[in-house]
Amino acid sequence: MKKGNLVIVATALFLNAALCACGGKAIDPNALTIMGKASDLQKTYMTRIFDLYRETTGEKLNIIAIEDSAYETTALEKFSKGEYPDIFLHFNNADLQRFDVAANCYYLDGETWVDDLTDGAYQYCLDAEGRLLGLPFWESSVSGCYYNKTLLDEMSLRASTTQEDFDGLCAALKEVGKNAICWPGNGCSWMYQFGLDPVFADDPDLLEKLNSNQTTYAQIPAVKDMMQWIYDAENKGWFGNNSLEVGWDQIGEQLSSGRSVMTFIWDTWFYTDFKPGKYTVDDFALMPVFLNTAPEGTYEGGNLNMMMVYKNSEKRQKALDFLAFCAEPENYNVAFDGISTVNCFKGQTTNIQSKMVTDARDSIDRHERVSTAATKIIGYSADDIALLVNDLFREKLTIAELVTRMDEDRKRIAKGEGVAGF
Amino acid sequence: MKNKIKILIPCLAILFAVAMGISIIVGYFNFIAEKMESDSRSHLIEVYEQVDHSFLSFIDMNWGLLDSCNDYLDLAVRNEDSAADAEQDISAFVARKKAFWGFSGFYFLDEERNFVTPEGERGQLNLSSGWDDVIARREPIMAGDQLAGQNITVFAVPAEHGTFRGFPYSAIAISYTNSDIATALNANAFAGSAKCFILNRKGEVLLSTQVGEGAYVNFLTYLKNSLLQSAGVREEERERIYNEILANFSAMLDDLEKGRTPQTGYLQAPLGVDKQKHCIIYMPVGYEDYFLLSSVPQSAVSEGFLSAQRATLRVMLIIFALVAVAAIACLVFWIVRQLHKNKTELKYRELMFDVLSGTVDDIFIMIDENTQKVDYLSPNVERLLGIKNEEVQNDLRAMAKCAVEYDIVVPKEELEEIPLGGNKHWECEYMHQATGERRWYRVTIYHMNIRDLQKYIIVMSDRTVEQQMNQKLQEALDAAKSANEAKSNFLSNMSHDIRTPMNAIVGFSVLLERSADDPEKVREYTHKIMASSHHLLSLINDVLDMSKIESGKTSLNVSLFDLPDLLEELSIILMPQAKAKEQEFTIHTQGTPPESLMGDRLRLNQILLNLLSNAIKYTPVGGKIEFTVCELQDSAPQFAKLRFIVKDNGIGMSEEFQQEIFKPFSREKNSVINSIQGTGLGMAITKNLVDLMGGIITLVSAPGKGSTFTVELSFALPEENSRQEEWYRQKIARMLVADDEEEICLNIREMMRDTGVDVSYTTSGATALDLAIRAHKHNSDFDVILLDWKMPGMDGVQTARLIREKVGAHIPILVLTSYDWSEIEDEARAAGINAFMPKPFFATTFFQTIKPLFSGAEKPEAPAPAEEGVLNGRRFLVAEDNELNAEILTEMLDIEGARCEVAVNGKIALEMFEKSEPGYYDLILMDVQMPVMNGYEATKAIRNSSHPSAKSIPIIAMTANTFAEDVKSAFDAGMDGHLAKPINMDAVRSTLARFLKKNAQDFEEDDRK
Repeated sequence: MKKGNLVIVATALFLNAALCACGGKAIDPNALTIMGKASDLQKTYMTRIFDLYRETTGEKLNIIAIEDSAYETTALEKFSKGEYPDIFLHFNNADLQRFDVAANCYYLDGETWVDDLTDGAYQYCLDAEGRLLGLPFWESSVSGCYYNKTLLDEMSLRASTTQEDFDGLCAALKEVGKNAICWPGNGCSWMYQFGLDPVFADDPDLLEKLNSNQTTYAQIPAVKDMMQWIYDAENKGWFGNNSLEVGWDQIGEQLSSGRSVMTFIWDTWFYTDFKPGKYTVDDFALMPVFLNTAPEGTYEGGNLNMMMVYKNSEKRQKALDFLAFCAEPENYNVAFDGISTVNCFKGQTTNIQSKMVTDARDSIDRHERVSTAATKIIGYSADDIALLVNDLFREKLTIAELVTRMDEDRKRIAKGEGVAGF
Repeated sequence: MKNKIKILIPCLAILFAVAMGISIIVGYFNFIAEKMESDSRSHLIEVYEQVDHSFLSFIDMNWGLLDSCNDYLDLAVRNEDSAADAEQDISAFVARKKAFWGFSGFYFLDEERNFVTPEGERGQLNLSSGWDDVIARREPIMAGDQLAGQNITVFAVPAEHGTFRGFPYSAIAISYTNSDIATALNANAFAGSAKCFILNRKGEVLLSTQVGEGAYVNFLTYLKNSLLQSAGVREEERERIYNEILANFSAMLDDLEKGRTPQTGYLQAPLGVDKQKHCIIYMPVGYEDYFLLSSVPQSAVSEGFLSAQRATLRVMLIIFALVAVAAIACLVFWIVRQLHKNKTELKYRELMFDVLSGTVDDIFIMIDENTQKVDYLSPNVERLLGIKNEEVQNDLRAMAKCAVEYDIVVPKEELEEIPLGGNKHWECEYMHQATGERRWYRVTIYHMNIRDLQKYIIVMSDRTVEQQMNQKLQEALDAAKSANEAKSNFLSNMSHDIRTPMNAIVGFSVLLERSADDPEKVREYTHKIMASSHHLLSLINDVLDMSKIESGKTSLNVSLFDLPDLLEELSIILMPQAKAKEQEFTIHTQGTPPESLMGDRLRLNQILLNLLSNAIKYTPVGGKIEFTVCELQDSAPQFAKLRFIVKDNGIGMSEEFQQEIFKPFSREKNSVINSIQGTGLGMAITKNLVDLMGGIITLVSAPGKGSTFTVELSFALPEENSRQEEWYRQKIARMLVADDEEEICLNIREMMRDTGVDVSYTTSGATALDLAIRAHKHNSDFDVILLDWKMPGMDGVQTARLIREKVGAHIPILVLTSYDWSEIEDEARAAGINAFMPKPFFATTFFQTIKPLFSGAEKPEAPAPAEEGVLNGRRFLVAEDNELNAEILTEMLDIEGARCEVAVNGKIALEMFEKSEPGYYDLILMDVQMPVMNGYEATKAIRNSSHPSAKSIPIIAMTANTFAEDVKSAFDAGMDGHLAKPINMDAVRSTLARFLKKNAQDFEEDDRK
């Protein structure tokens, strides 16, 4: 995965240069201008849709690819000079607020393709007032608790539907000598957002208060509940006896060997990093993540790149037409043909969806939350939290101290970014 | 032994009591454990029988509920006009029942297990087990299922065929979530640590009776897995337990099938990774072939027992502990009392012994035979030997450092030689480590057996007093012997020393008588008689001086004196003697010794003269004598501490003699010394005088290498006067010094530092000349130039001559010399030298020397020798009881042309004076010790007489008493001067001349008045 990332970044840099060079030569004032990160714009399904659009409509596109690391600052600089693209690609995260969405974004709630969006994708693209910001045209995955179904069957145990059952399951697995959960405490940090997502996704006011420094983690009981559960699970041995030594590279081995039965991860990981051992991907199934913050568990929806239309663009209608083109089932099915992703569109049929996800579809539909913690909490640092939790495991911190330190870290980052209220 | 038995019996009794107590407790607990386990098992079974009962009631309740629903469906369909109303009515009914009974769902089912809910939701139930029974046999079923991700338990009963919301149904069902059932059954026993399920015969979990147990699908499989994890439990045992469970299940099923009442199963097995012992209980629930199976950790089951056991144990332990504490306390009290009694006795003894040994000067030590460690040490060791008790306590060998000659620590071999009950003793001397005090001890070592332990007791009896007494006696004896010997020696020496000159006097007197006609012979013999007489006199003087010092009658006459004068006087006296032996005699000063001092000049002079005379005396011809005076810096502000060093390269003295030199009549015995005349009292007198003056005298000497005597004395300082002012007044600001010894130049500069005079110096005459010329050219002549006489190259006289030639005659030039300058005086004065300065240099002397030169006064003339013929024609009244002495004096004065009238005692002298005409007598020579009226009384009487010359006539004491006190007494009596007997004619002439001249001046003044 990490090596793969390096290859992608290198390719992105190359393409960025190429695209910029092309763009520089081929800017057509009549053509739509699409601005995005270089690595985002070179995704297969993106280039496919661009090509398909050009071929189908005969229109040209001005693709402005900005180097990934400078994307935010360069884009902001262009906006400040009045150089707005017609279509702007961005994730619906905290950084998006810097682009004055309310003033620049054309809300898309009235578009015809809205009903074709899956619920998860639709929810992801809404702003705080429930307005649709963009068209989610992106690959996605489902994060949840992936478990060894075969092993549970062998043990005559079943997946959990409630936090209480999940705790019982962990205890039962511990009793029969299994690591219930592979908890990669060494350098991995995404697990915490799974637990926090329902806390904030279910209560947008809470998120707003936190981001304006009107409340703190310490004042949100669910945060402490989650940390308490994690601490208890570690002490009960549900994470095995070496959770602080298990890192990214050991997760696959832990699961494929059957040493650990469950882990909190996403489906595409099984196709990119998991190497079959005693157990293969077919042995695994998906259930919600239980971190004591949602009684019936939670799934984290994917982070989706949105195509947003500049409100004051002279070619706004053309841009809306382009989005409608992208949202056409025959077009997106061409673009996502063979791509491993969960559906953003209900009519997506050509993409590859894992059996684990499809089998758990009902549960996902009921319990999926929009990715919130990692993307929308200002100053959220998963890595900082992971370090603090490690100190908690080493008994260097108490739960209360940990939560206080989480707040301190968050406020420090927010203050550094000049966020109002901090 | 008796004490041991006394202690042993109670201890054994307590041990027996403890053992008995423990046995009773163990037995009691075993009994209680069996009883409690039996009760726990009964309790466990009872608990789950209640669960079973609840479960059956729950099932019955649901069948009843479904029956009532069926009835209501029929009723609603019949009563309501329209289907819609009926459906609405049914929905309301179900909602009410749902709210009351707490089921989670209500379903209208068709034969294909499809359902519709009163709310209109549609779906399908699994209901794999027993569905046929509902449809085909029209019997109710209870089955586990999963709906919308939830584990549910469904109760289904056949119903009259009907439709609901267009859905044709043939059965109705209600469902519960497992947590709802668990709540209903309330089987959450044993603090939640028990697992309790309703299983079918395959072991499949039909429903969990407790929250959080939804994970188990087949509990028997899980149980097997759990058993497999019980590491350490043999596989056969695991297999046996599992098979036992299955067999019991089968047996129960058989009983059921055959209409027999099945038995409740109970067994214990270790489960899970922690191998915790679990109680597994299973019983048919009376519905279908369902079983209730529960697994409870043994610890949870026994918790009540354990807590009761713990409480009992705690109570018993407390009681036991209290009894034990009481018993132990009694025992301890008894032992402590005994020990205290013993200890007190011991303490008293120890205290008494410590007090005793602290008081006496005997030391007691006890050491162990095997370890050689000190068991006891009397506390007076530090007081007596100055060594810390702890030090000796730690290691007896520490005492060795106090032993003067040999070690107290007896080698082990020697100790072992002492038979048990025997002893060994010897005497040795010890020295106090801090004070150096010496003590004598008689050391006795006793080898003893104390309570079966072999000990050595060392008793060190103080014999110091006896030893000291013996020593004193010995010393007294030695002293007596020594005194006797000294007296003998003294007498021998005196006899020899007195007889020698006396022999010469007598011998030469005889020769003189015989050769009276030969003037040459008479002169020769007379001269020798005089020499012998002088020697005899000095011998007598020293003996008397010493006698007086030793009898403590000597006192110091402290007055202001001038150090440079003293040194000059010494130089004048000693220089000729040194010169006679061709010795180099130099006087140096180091630093800036003060010039004016408060002290006994006479005694200081005597000390230094003794040392210097000896140095000259015991240094061969051509030798070197250095006399150095330096000021030490460690004196108090109002005092000056001076060090006088007399160093010679003479014959030196042996180490032994150095120890004796300051004792009276000590003279080293060697051929050289024997040839030198001396009384052997000089150094003893010197030492006594130094002691009297609070100083110290030290000696460094080696035979053939010379001697160095160092005397250190402190003198009070007179109040200081401003010296700079005087120099400034004389306009002396710059001076040039030339001496080939740079040290002397620096010394002069240092001594002149306080005067404010700027001193330039050079070590050659040529450079001095050059400096003088240069200064002259720059109109900055030196105010005075001081030149050393003997300098290599150009000497002082030559330099002075050239300076006069080149610079002129206006600058005073002085020559600095430690030699007698009389022989070069004429040449020097011709060369332009204004004055001479003796070495060592003193600023005061220098100032006094040059002052006349600057003030224009002529150089004071050297004192004129005693005037020849000054006595001529004079008349003296001589009071002398000794006829011979009177005759000698009369004859001698007669030779000088004076006439004497002799009075044989003071009274006659007084009468003669009173009768005389004023001016008749020029002077009175008064002996002191005379019969009738001594000299002091006579003088006082004369002074008090009415004679016109009573106050003015000079009265000179004439006595053999030459000490300072004698002189003082003479002056106190009113005398004007003092002459020592025997009469030295030069002294007589000089003294008389001085007083006669003075008296004459007084007369002239009186006349003028």
